[in-house]
Amino acid sequence: MSQPEYTKEKKVGEGTYAVVYLGTKQSTGRKIAVKEIKTSEFKDGLDMSAIREVKYLQEIQHENVIELVDIFLAYDNLNLVLEFLPSDLEKVIKDKSILFTPADIKSWMLMTLRGVHHCHRNFILHRDLKPNNLLISPDGQIKVADFGLARTFPSAQEILTSNVVTRWYRAPELLFGAKHYTSAVDIWSTGVIFAELMLRIPYLPGQTDVDQIEVTFRALGTPTDKDWPDVSFFPAYNKLQIYPPPSREELRRRFIAASENALNFMCGMLTMNPQKRWNAVQCLESDYFKEAPAPSDPSTIQIS
Amino acid sequence: MTSIRQQTPVSDGKASKDSSTEKPSNYKRLSDDDLFRHSSQYRFWSFTPEQLEQKRIQVNAQAVQSIEEDLRNFVADNKTDLNEEEIKTIEMKAVPVTAEEELKLINLYAKKVQMIAQRLNLPTEIVATSITFFRRFYLENSVHKFEPKAIVLTTIFLACKSDNYFIGIDSFCEKTRGSKEQILKYEFPLLESLKFSLFNHHPYRPLHGFFLDIQAVLHGKVDLSYMGHIYDRCKKRITEALLTDAVYFYSPPQITLSALMIEDEALTTRYLELKFHGNNPDSSADEQKTISQDISISLEKLMTLIRDCKKIIEQSTNTSVEEAKSIAARLYFCQNPEDLLKKLKKRKHDEQDSPRAEKKTRVE
Ligand SMILES: Nc1ncnc2c1ncn2[C@@H]1O[C@H](COP(=O)(O)OP(=O)(O)OP(=O)(O)O)[C@@H](O)[C@H]1O
Ligand SMILES: [Mg+2]
Repeated sequence: MSQPEYTKEKKVGEGTYAVVYLGTKQSTGRKIAVKEIKTSEFKDGLDMSAIREVKYLQEIQHENVIELVDIFLAYDNLNLVLEFLPSDLEKVIKDKSILFTPADIKSWMLMTLRGVHHCHRNFILHRDLKPNNLLISPDGQIKVADFGLARTFPSAQEILTSNVVTRWYRAPELLFGAKHYTSAVDIWSTGVIFAELMLRIPYLPGQTDVDQIEVTFRALGTPTDKDWPDVSFFPAYNKLQIYPPPSREELRRRFIAASENALNFMCGMLTMNPQKRWNAVQCLESDYFKEAPAPSDPSTIQIS
Repeated sequence: MTSIRQQTPVSDGKASKDSSTEKPSNYKRLSDDDLFRHSSQYRFWSFTPEQLEQKRIQVNAQAVQSIEEDLRNFVADNKTDLNEEEIKTIEMKAVPVTAEEELKLINLYAKKVQMIAQRLNLPTEIVATSITFFRRFYLENSVHKFEPKAIVLTTIFLACKSDNYFIGIDSFCEKTRGSKEQILKYEFPLLESLKFSLFNHHPYRPLHGFFLDIQAVLHGKVDLSYMGHIYDRCKKRITEALLTDAVYFYSPPQITLSALMIEDEALTTRYLELKFHGNNPDSSADEQKTISQDISISLEKLMTLIRDCKKIIEQSTNTSVEEAKSIAARLYFCQNPEDLLKKLKKRKHDEQDSPRAEKKTRVE
């Protein structure tokens, strides 16, 4: 075999179905990440998550979605060559030595929503948005990553699994076990991420799936048939404790630094009824992005 | 003939009608056409007819070259054992197939893919993906290198996984009576030949869009149950179109419109005329503007395009079983010239026994 174009220099992470290495593209010297799919473990051939990742990343080229540089096969293993992204939003949120401003948060939200919007207009649901999957490039750009759970927009008849999205970022329709849902699940996750950025702690940290329902509705109110027709038909509904939605005053107190527009923006994304929840375009057009402060220039935001 | 490389395809009916209020300055709106142009389907799998033909000729020529070399080596290696008649038989019978013949065989097996996928009761879209994957595989590979029969099941297996319709390998083999090892063995070569491009824009989604739009534009002038009937027929027609080269020359909405045109020319023409020139009372002036911007070609041009596309869709891709058998036989003998010689020996032996007995050629 000739000199490989991509080298793997050091292991930087391991997920459920892949090991990630830091490497170099030999011809250009560019730093890259190589995601090596653990093929041997799957008796059904190529793993579904790997197929999804390949399928969707191959389709999307956008400044705010991780770039798939190349794909190669070596020693019976599938390797995805990705742009190298040294940080992610989870790290930044957790690193208490990093200070960030409302303008920084706005910039991150703008970039995230642009990436999400691009997925949606390509008929792709991400289904696993969380700070850990929003990677950050050296120049501060947010990159939506990890398409292992993604899928195309379903047709009306298709039955979907509600067992998607990491628990804390799971939309109410998923908590109810809905068999049909839409891109609105990604918007909910984005809303929870926004809240987490403002609070700097997870906003809805359920301990278990059952607890997640409790935590979500205690914070945001239990949905009723009035604002979400037929929500009470979900089998899980009748066991619920009915909480009133938070008053504006309560929200203001919880999110001290948030402007009225910022609260509207958050509430738009965290609307219980998925049909009334804002879509990506509505989010991008919200007054929150138009009012001061302007979003920070990504390259100026401190990320480490 | 026009191809999508030169023409702007018309957007599907439900062309983004999202509220076009003020956009943030750095927010750029893309039309559906722009999106399609960024798709891997467009980047990797759209060709002009000339490019496509070139591609097929090249794939075939490469395979033929290596087959001929193998055959020459076979003869050279066995020089001392072979008599003149045997060498002659090899020269006459072990003849590599042409690009045209490859296509005939592929067309036949593409229909098999469709049949098996439908027998598995897979959703229409996955049947479509299976057909698409199979045909693309043979734009990159020769039937001389990969026997179509062996690729059929892998194609369907991967299409299921790719379209989120997981069937475990054991259950898949049970349903198709396929070999597990063989199906899995070809998964990587298939994926690689597909250039890892798995996302398909099938013409069914635009069909849905056009149907909603036709009902809006021709509001009250179309019978709903009739429309349902046409919808089903168009769906079938689209699946058939996926077996033709139209998919390489035209965008999905163009294929959809051609299918519509085949099923009801008057309706489709009326709809398009209204769409281009008519004042649709249901849509605001703003929407009218959006539509005419999205459709950046003239009605006349579009009609020509659709007619050309329709012609290709309606061309038969049928291959007779006889023809396929004789092509398959040559493929086999090219790969296994020794079997050709065995057959020759056997025939001579049989002739000695009963000179009149005509033995049928056994074809794998
Ligand atoms: N492009 C990249 N550049 C740098 N590091 C990366 C890159 N992609 C992934 N990583 C690192 O590798 C780790 C594993 O990534 P991966 O997406 O495979 O799994 P995960 O998301 O952590 O876990 P799971 O598979 O359970 O979702 C990530 O947490 C991250 O630290
Ligand atoms: Mg992850």
